[in-house]
Amino acid sequence: MLSLRGLFSRREGRVEERRDVETVSVTRRTIVLSAILGAASLPLVLVYVLLVLTSFSKDVVTGVELLQGRGVEWTLANWAALLSGQLSTILPGTVTVNIYSAILNTLLIAFGVMVVVVVASTLAGYAFSRMRFPGRRGLMQFIILLHAFPGVALLIGVYMVYLWLLNAFFARAPGLRDAYVIAYTILARASLEIPMSIWLMKGFFDKIPWEVEWSALVDGASRLRVWWEILLPQVKPGIAALAIFSFLAGWEDFVYVYVFTYLGTGGRMFTLATLIEQLVSRIETAELPLAAAAGVLYLLPTLIFFILTQRLLLEAYAGGVKG
Amino acid sequence: MVRVRLERVSKRFGRVVALKEVTLEFEDGSFSALLGPSGSGKTTLLYLIAGIYKPSTGRIYFDDRDVTMLPPNKRNVGLVFQNYALYPHMTVYENIAFPLRLRKLPKRVIDEKVREVAKMLHIDSLLDRYPSQLSGGQQQRVAMARALVKEPDVLLLDEPLSNLDALLRVKIRAELKRLQRDIGITTIYVTHDQSEALALADKIVVIDSGVVQQVGTPEEVYNNPRNLFVAGFIGSPPANLLTGRVEKGSGCAIVAGQRVCPDLPISALLELLEEVIVAFRPEHARLDEAPGGAGMVSFEGEVYAVETLGRENIVTLMVDSVPVKVITPPDMMPREGSRMFIVVPVSKLKFFDPKTELNLEYLAGEHGETTGMQQRG
Repeated sequence: MLSLRGLFSRREGRVEERRDVETVSVTRRTIVLSAILGAASLPLVLVYVLLVLTSFSKDVVTGVELLQGRGVEWTLANWAALLSGQLSTILPGTVTVNIYSAILNTLLIAFGVMVVVVVASTLAGYAFSRMRFPGRRGLMQFIILLHAFPGVALLIGVYMVYLWLLNAFFARAPGLRDAYVIAYTILARASLEIPMSIWLMKGFFDKIPWEVEWSALVDGASRLRVWWEILLPQVKPGIAALAIFSFLAGWEDFVYVYVFTYLGTGGRMFTLATLIEQLVSRIETAELPLAAAAGVLYLLPTLIFFILTQRLLLEAYAGGVKG
Repeated sequence: MVRVRLERVSKRFGRVVALKEVTLEFEDGSFSALLGPSGSGKTTLLYLIAGIYKPSTGRIYFDDRDVTMLPPNKRNVGLVFQNYALYPHMTVYENIAFPLRLRKLPKRVIDEKVREVAKMLHIDSLLDRYPSQLSGGQQQRVAMARALVKEPDVLLLDEPLSNLDALLRVKIRAELKRLQRDIGITTIYVTHDQSEALALADKIVVIDSGVVQQVGTPEEVYNNPRNLFVAGFIGSPPANLLTGRVEKGSGCAIVAGQRVCPDLPISALLELLEEVIVAFRPEHARLDEAPGGAGMVSFEGEVYAVETLGRENIVTLMVDSVPVKVITPPDMMPREGSRMFIVVPVSKLKFFDPKTELNLEYLAGEHGETTGMQQRG
């Protein structure tokens, strides 16, 4: 008894803290978490910072020179060269590419992948969530299996189809040929994204109670109208997340883009990814500051998207992945 | 407003038979309750009328129009779901206006109707809110308004009050009854809560295992259950059941040591049985130290438990190790373990055939008719 009393009296000086078991002190938790996460992401952040600095410098910025107090020779030459399509700051005018067409191609492919993935998986996700048809379960399992295949493993087969179609229909039509190359790249890249996206969208549709759909039917709507006017607005976060992910998948893709648009056209058609590959392919002669500028340019949409949509993405991760 | 008629309607889900040969009629302007335990098929029946499910066999008529194969959007029914099923991305106004918008009515007419129905349901101050900003009772009203705004031929309610707290439920119950009377719309109400059904409906349809057990007024269903299921389901606590042996030749039965002699024609029917189940309501019996007089039957039992409910007490007694419940005045507090007499007027006893589970009174009535009709509207 006495010792207990002592325990209590020692506490009397402090403000009584009434906390439920599940509540962790907010300030302390925030500080600890920020410290840990900050430390963990520091190397990555540092690398990106150096990349941005290098793109404005004459030589590669490693950080060491900054610590030693040596100055960095700042310049806009890398960006000037990049934006005028020169692949070298040292020998201007020797090798040039149309940088704007590279950006356009990249955007075309990224938006194309986005549209195809969103349309296909919104429709298929609805069907898997809401329609009972024979083979539904099997098909869903098969889709998961498809997702497990790495895209690189499929490349040879997909390339054969690409070549066959190219030679059969587009060999003698140069105008259509470029359109075909872009379209094929979009479809091939999108089909890699679609399996997982269908599951994501199915999860979103599953969360909407049947009664809401029935209610709209009883109110006088057709099934298509219900899908468009009642269900789609409720899966908006899913669609938005999907749009972002698939846009980035198209934007960031290298292998498919390299094989179909670059190799497939004999090096005539560039995208940002293949352009950077050209800049750094021979590392010993590569002009790294120029490559850094291209890299920063390439990073921009990713950064913008993530900054704008952080909260939406969290919601998608928390809500979407549900069988 | 229409009369809703179901003709030998069955519904199967795979191998499960949810409804079996249901023939029913809901009169124009009537308020009917579909009452049954969960899984009895009552909601399935409602969805069949709404057109959400299609019957496996049988036909459904609105007046003389065959609607069996019509999709829900062609039936003009109003349906309120248990979880209200409001459209979360629309405001209250847009929710209520949705059915009218689908009919391509002019904006002015829609606005007029939405405001009118909102006023009637006292939600006119909530029109700009979203469903997530409303309380359960308010959401329920919005769902109601959305169902009523299109002036449906039939109003279907699927447990509309079960998600509300007890006090609100009783309040809205009275409003609902008044609303239905004022509009005069044919209303079918699904519930598992017998007090709701008894309080609201002109007619109760008791369903169990996909089969209609009884159709009748609340008074009929309560006081004269057609079979043992209804006797054991309706009432709180439900009817007491005691098994007895038929005394051949006398038209009487021996139940818990007591000779029970019903009037004709029950006594005649009794002769055809070996055993009989006797049922009586807890409130029809009284407890006494001494057996009752003429016209009464008195079962002796041992007091097992006394539950005090304020307005009344429920006393449980063991009669031949069968629990029997009796409702007594609140001042009646018999000692546990004491022996007392349960006194019931013979006229309040109902007799059931243990094999068919049917009330002999109904059997007597149906013997007179040539048809073996199971349900009478």
